[in-house]
Amino acid sequence: MPLLEVKDLTYVYSPGTPYEKTAMKDVSLSIEEGDVIGVIGHTGSGKSTLVQHLNGLLKPTSGTVMLNGRDIWAEPKKIRDIRFQVGLVFQYPEHQLFEETVAKDIAFGPKNMGLSEDQITVRVSRAARFVGLRQELMDKSPFELSGGEKRRAAIAGVMAMEPRVLILDEPTAGLDPKGRDMILEQITAYQEETGATVLLVSHSMEDVARTTKKVLVMSGGAVAMFAPTEEVFSRAEELTGIGLSIPAVTRVFLTLKQRGVDLGDGVYTVEQARDRLLPLLKKGGDAHAQ
Amino acid sequence: MLSDITIGQYFPGDSVVHRMDPRVKLILTFVYIIAVFFPQNWFGLLLAVGYLVFSVLCSRLPLRLVWKSIKPIIPLIVITSALNIFYSDKGVELIHWGFLKITSGGLITAAFIAIRILCLIAGSSLLTYTTSPTTLTDALERILRPLKVIHINVHELSMMMTIALRFIPTLIEETDKIMSAQKARGADMESGGLMQRVKALIPVLIPLFVSSFRRAYELATAMECRCYHGGDGRTRMKQLHMGRLDVWCLLSMALLIAAIVTLNFFVPAVV
Repeated sequence: MPLLEVKDLTYVYSPGTPYEKTAMKDVSLSIEEGDVIGVIGHTGSGKSTLVQHLNGLLKPTSGTVMLNGRDIWAEPKKIRDIRFQVGLVFQYPEHQLFEETVAKDIAFGPKNMGLSEDQITVRVSRAARFVGLRQELMDKSPFELSGGEKRRAAIAGVMAMEPRVLILDEPTAGLDPKGRDMILEQITAYQEETGATVLLVSHSMEDVARTTKKVLVMSGGAVAMFAPTEEVFSRAEELTGIGLSIPAVTRVFLTLKQRGVDLGDGVYTVEQARDRLLPLLKKGGDAHAQ
Repeated sequence: MLSDITIGQYFPGDSVVHRMDPRVKLILTFVYIIAVFFPQNWFGLLLAVGYLVFSVLCSRLPLRLVWKSIKPIIPLIVITSALNIFYSDKGVELIHWGFLKITSGGLITAAFIAIRILCLIAGSSLLTYTTSPTTLTDALERILRPLKVIHINVHELSMMMTIALRFIPTLIEETDKIMSAQKARGADMESGGLMQRVKALIPVLIPLFVSSFRRAYELATAMECRCYHGGDGRTRMKQLHMGRLDVWCLLSMALLIAAIVTLNFFVPAVV
């Protein structure tokens, strides 16, 4: 049984007003436990609308969202329990920090879950460790942190709820390359250690390529593709057709192929490219030496 | 949803009324509101109502919009005119009940008051329906410019007003986002007693304040980068021009007032 299942989901913004807009139409998909999925798509393709349905922030106009085989809206009063199981980190999450200290802010979620003080302390320090926040930062005001630290503190605030599904909406937007690498590595580490299901919404094909195993492509409020990462990026033409791109290194290999240098398909990270190219260079070097 | 709130009630269009110079519109509305209290007989009042009806028709606004602006005021109108019924001794006594008595003059006064308030509300909403809030502040700035003499910096006041109006939708969107983010962390804003609900707002209000200050700071920097230094010597992208249309409108208002005053002389007053 899939962990999360979306069936014929349709969502209409402001129905019955002049501003009525169908953001999603008949979307169906299923997510297995432990999946690491990249969600890509144009601005306005319905990515954010979709992820807000998964934790019950938006209620479908029609269709259902099932968690563990149960409709999440079966008991609307218990929707908070769903939000604890499906954690959502919004875009620019550092804008939601509000507490006096970083530790208190991370504890906001666990506290709302009604956990005991001891459990909260354990969860806060574990979440802080996941995102690499040093202990001495925990008693500082969140507003004193640097941009990257703030971002990580906000992500820790959701991780501390230890959700079974962790959704991150553009967690690396506006960060420098170092901060970006750090957050992506931490997400991967968190996933490996907890076995959580992770959805990563992103505009960066490179981020998606190196972090996720499957990719969900949204276009015009519908699912355009949902397949393993390798397969999605091998359909470069389709992706460009809906206004998306492929990782730069994949583009290099594709162009090489068009010019008659076939180094094979399925290269979408720099590491993979290195592994393809190094043996060639070695061969070339050997030939030269002879 | 918070995003359903509309600020200001500008209804875009391209009618004669929409195209009028906002300064003229503002002044005419102001004068009209005063003029509505001049008529002392039915003919004068009819003229004033007719002028308004004609203007509304010219603006080609859907009538339900005008109705929407009047609807919330109806209880006020009813209470005001009901009180006025008892304050007149003129005319024939109709009902005498203890210390209360109703005369025909009282009924007429009540009707006059009701119609005057209706005109007042409909007239001023005609202004806000056909003029965008920014244009309106712009017009206000021009009209109040002479206040410079007594050292009131009208430009700064109106700049503040424009910025405030401009940022209301942005802040609403921001509030919506922060609320969703806190709800995703299990914040409960829909249940509990008053104190609990007030407390539940803290996680929304603090980030909202912080981001407002950040926005203000960024906006100030951006304005300084573009060499903003207040109103002196500043030209405008949209120059206000008084055209022939505006002159005609001003004339028509003058005529209306003249007619009302004349009628007051020749027709016996009923209130």
